[in-house]
Amino acid sequence: MKINPKLKNDLKNFLLERIQKEQNRVAVYSADALDVEEIKVLSEKKFPDLNWKDADYRIDKSIIAGVIIKIGSKTIDLSLSGSLSKLSNTLYEID
Amino acid sequence: MENLGIDGKLLLAQMINFVLFFILVKKFVVKPFTSFLNQERKNEEEKTKLLEKLKKSEEVAIEAEKKAKEKMKKEFDVLFVQAKKEAQNLRADLIKQAESDAQEIRNKSKKLLEDERNSLYREVKDKIVKTSLMIVESTLRESLDESSRKKITGAIIKNYKGRIELN
Repeated sequence: MKINPKLKNDLKNFLLERIQKEQNRVAVYSADALDVEEIKVLSEKKFPDLNWKDADYRIDKSIIAGVIIKIGSKTIDLSLSGSLSKLSNTLYEID
Repeated sequence: MENLGIDGKLLLAQMINFVLFFILVKKFVVKPFTSFLNQERKNEEEKTKLLEKLKKSEEVAIEAEKKAKEKMKKEFDVLFVQAKKEAQNLRADLIKQAESDAQEIRNKSKKLLEDERNSLYREVKDKIVKTSLMIVESTLRESLDESSRKKITGAIIKNYKGRIELN
């Protein structure tokens, strides 16, 4: 089956655009809803390079406190549960 | 002769009688008896010779036996010494092998004990870490209210120095 090259190219561009979008999409998880000031600090001072326009803010009580920022497949863990997990790993590494 | 009281006829008869008696005794008694005696003497000599021969052969046999015994004794001594040496070597080898085996068993046991100790240590450590973290986590969940959580979140964001740690 022969595919129209233009259609193929368009589809390729569309998918690349979607992938790029997904890769740059920011998701912020916190135990409680973040207030405007905190969002401002995050977007303007701490991570100004990220695409905060389409950021997705979600509540996750399991993180106890702090935030987890996911950008595509990357994760920045600033939560208490993450700190506890790091502490646990450190304790396991100590002989 | 008659005046002397000797009867000639009787004397003659007695003489003939005596001669006949002598001939008969010599022929039928003395000769076989002498022959018998000679035969007996010969037999006795043969016996003596045979006895001497036997004695000699017995002595030879005794000597040979003695030599054989000595030879056997020497061979036995050599074999005994050799066997003793071999037994000593074998004993030494066995002792060495047993010591080696014992050392191996000791090492294995030591390693096993060490492994078990390490395993127990890891298990206990794992339990302590898990329990401690569970206690801390549950305490934090129970003790932190919304305002505290918000304060902590604010502080974390504020104190973040741009150290991005990606999981």
